Amino acid sequence: MTEPLLSIRDLKVEFSTRNGRVTALDGIDLDLMPGETLGIVGESGCGKSITALATMGLIPDPPGRIAGGRILFDGEDITHADARRLRSLRGADISMIFQEPMTSLNPVFTAGDQIAEAIMLHQQLGRAEANRKAVELLRTVGIPEPERRARSFPHELSGGMRQRVMIAMAISCRPRVLIADEPTTALDVTVQAQIFDLMRDIQKEFGVAIMLITHDMGAIAEMADRVAVMYAGRIVEKGSADAILDNPLHPYTRGLIDCIPVLGKAAGEQGRMPPLAEIPGVVPPLHLLGQGCAFADRCPLAFDRCRIETPILDGRSHGVACFATEMEAV
Amino acid sequence: MSMADATANSHAVEGARPLRDALIAYRRNKPALLGMLLLSAIIAFVIYGTFFFKGDPYEIVWAPQTPPGTDAAVPLGTDYLGRDIMRGLLKGGGPTLAVGAAAAIITLVIGISLGGIAGFFGGWIDDLLMRVTEFFQVLPALLFAMVVITLFSPSTLTTAIAIGVVLWPQTARLTRAEFLKIRELEYVTAARSIGARNGRIMWKVILPNALPPLVVSATLTVGVAILFQAGLSFLGLDDPNTMSWGLMIGTNRQYILDAWWPVTFPGIAIFLTVFAVSLVGDGLNDAFNPKLRGR
Repeated sequence: MTEPLLSIRDLKVEFSTRNGRVTALDGIDLDLMPGETLGIVGESGCGKSITALATMGLIPDPPGRIAGGRILFDGEDITHADARRLRSLRGADISMIFQEPMTSLNPVFTAGDQIAEAIMLHQQLGRAEANRKAVELLRTVGIPEPERRARSFPHELSGGMRQRVMIAMAISCRPRVLIADEPTTALDVTVQAQIFDLMRDIQKEFGVAIMLITHDMGAIAEMADRVAVMYAGRIVEKGSADAILDNPLHPYTRGLIDCIPVLGKAAGEQGRMPPLAEIPGVVPPLHLLGQGCAFADRCPLAFDRCRIETPILDGRSHGVACFATEMEAV
Repeated sequence: MSMADATANSHAVEGARPLRDALIAYRRNKPALLGMLLLSAIIAFVIYGTFFFKGDPYEIVWAPQTPPGTDAAVPLGTDYLGRDIMRGLLKGGGPTLAVGAAAAIITLVIGISLGGIAGFFGGWIDDLLMRVTEFFQVLPALLFAMVVITLFSPSTLTTAIAIGVVLWPQTARLTRAEFLKIRELEYVTAARSIGARNGRIMWKVILPNALPPLVVSATLTVGVAILFQAGLSFLGLDDPNTMSWGLMIGTNRQYILDAWWPVTFPGIAIFLTVFAVSLVGDGLNDAFNPKLRGR
């Protein structure tokens, strides 16, 4: 079996806040294999983005800090790597696409300039050569008339194009891991599909492993090979995308899947759509997390034990951290 | 669709050439154009006075306190000693503008360095630098400048340094505030995520975005510095052997009730200079900020 490219073991991240110290990530285990797409799903505030930032060594410190666990990249422990090593990894080996293409490009430089900068940070290339490569990258990410677009400022580009520019920047040094933090959330649905197509093409061409962070189960269905479902700083279910989508075990995962609107579903019988499902309540604030399963208060299956003990993710290939589904299985 | 819209659209399609676009935007801005014309005229006047005009502004050429328009030889009249006001304006402009520009540069260099470092790193560095800044800020400005000048011999350079040392805290605070705001933005995190180091993020990512208010503040500083120099001359602390507009006002102030012209003309010269510089600064700000262009 091949070694994971990126391996996160028992990662704990804490933040000190006005309400005291809170645990944003509480013992996360993740493996990212070369060339695969790992989906990380969950609502806002589940710790998805913190996982991504921790991997990049970008947790703002203070107030945050990595309180325990390890992050291994290609066998190398980078959890507490020094600034120089992290800089040489970022962009070159691990790079990241952000949620808001509107704000993640520097407004005062042209698209081409910014890509060329990223190239020159990691490769010994002159300005002219870097500019030429930047235009080439814009062509790779499917931007029409790349020579002209390279001279455009971010505000002159559409949201989809900006996200393409971000992707061009992210792949400029052929990274092995690409972390995509809600890459399509801010985009139109049609553009979303295009960006996903582009990411798949890039994965095929460059063999990059993608960590796709999203709250959209539809995106997971389309992109992911394997999935980790996060809730309140923990992984509650983990397995292959097919297994999780066809046979979700955790009530939270089931809730997320039921939230996907299906066009035409059950509409025929009474001529009316059933109301869209929702998960009642919100993710609890981290400082109010007490004993037991964090999802218990919103869970239709919760019983006494859920409020006292914290369920542990079992080690099966399709693992779940839930007492209720354990009972079902028995 | 108006002409302006059409031009803006065509440039969006063509892609941008920053300098050319800034120039076009600047030319469209009427007040900025007026400021540029006025400033050019003042600079031409001063260059002529400094390098080509041979008269001595200290020379007594006519009867004291001759009103303007009395004789073509002294078109703007004479001061209380009978010195030509026109010669004073011609010869005094160079030191005045030099002090203004030098003081603004000193202010920018100190202010941006300290303010940028404080805002970017935060924490104890920020606390330390801001306490230093406040220390300079609470000193009475004019008094502090006077101390600096008296420590050294009065000259155009000491005046510029004294004014720069007094005025930098404002620029530092402004820079810090901009850095504090911008460092939290996503494109800064994005720059980190491609492996940029702190220095690069500070000067190549944050500073260009912080520049618009700083450019405006710098042009205002030029104006304030010229006024400050006038104030110092007024108190007799400027180099009396270097003619400047401020010195003219300072030496003639006692006689203002007998003769209005020896202080009024240098005053108008200072006003026009500050006015022109402010208009240019505003125009530059609009022109170099791609988002404000084409409004």
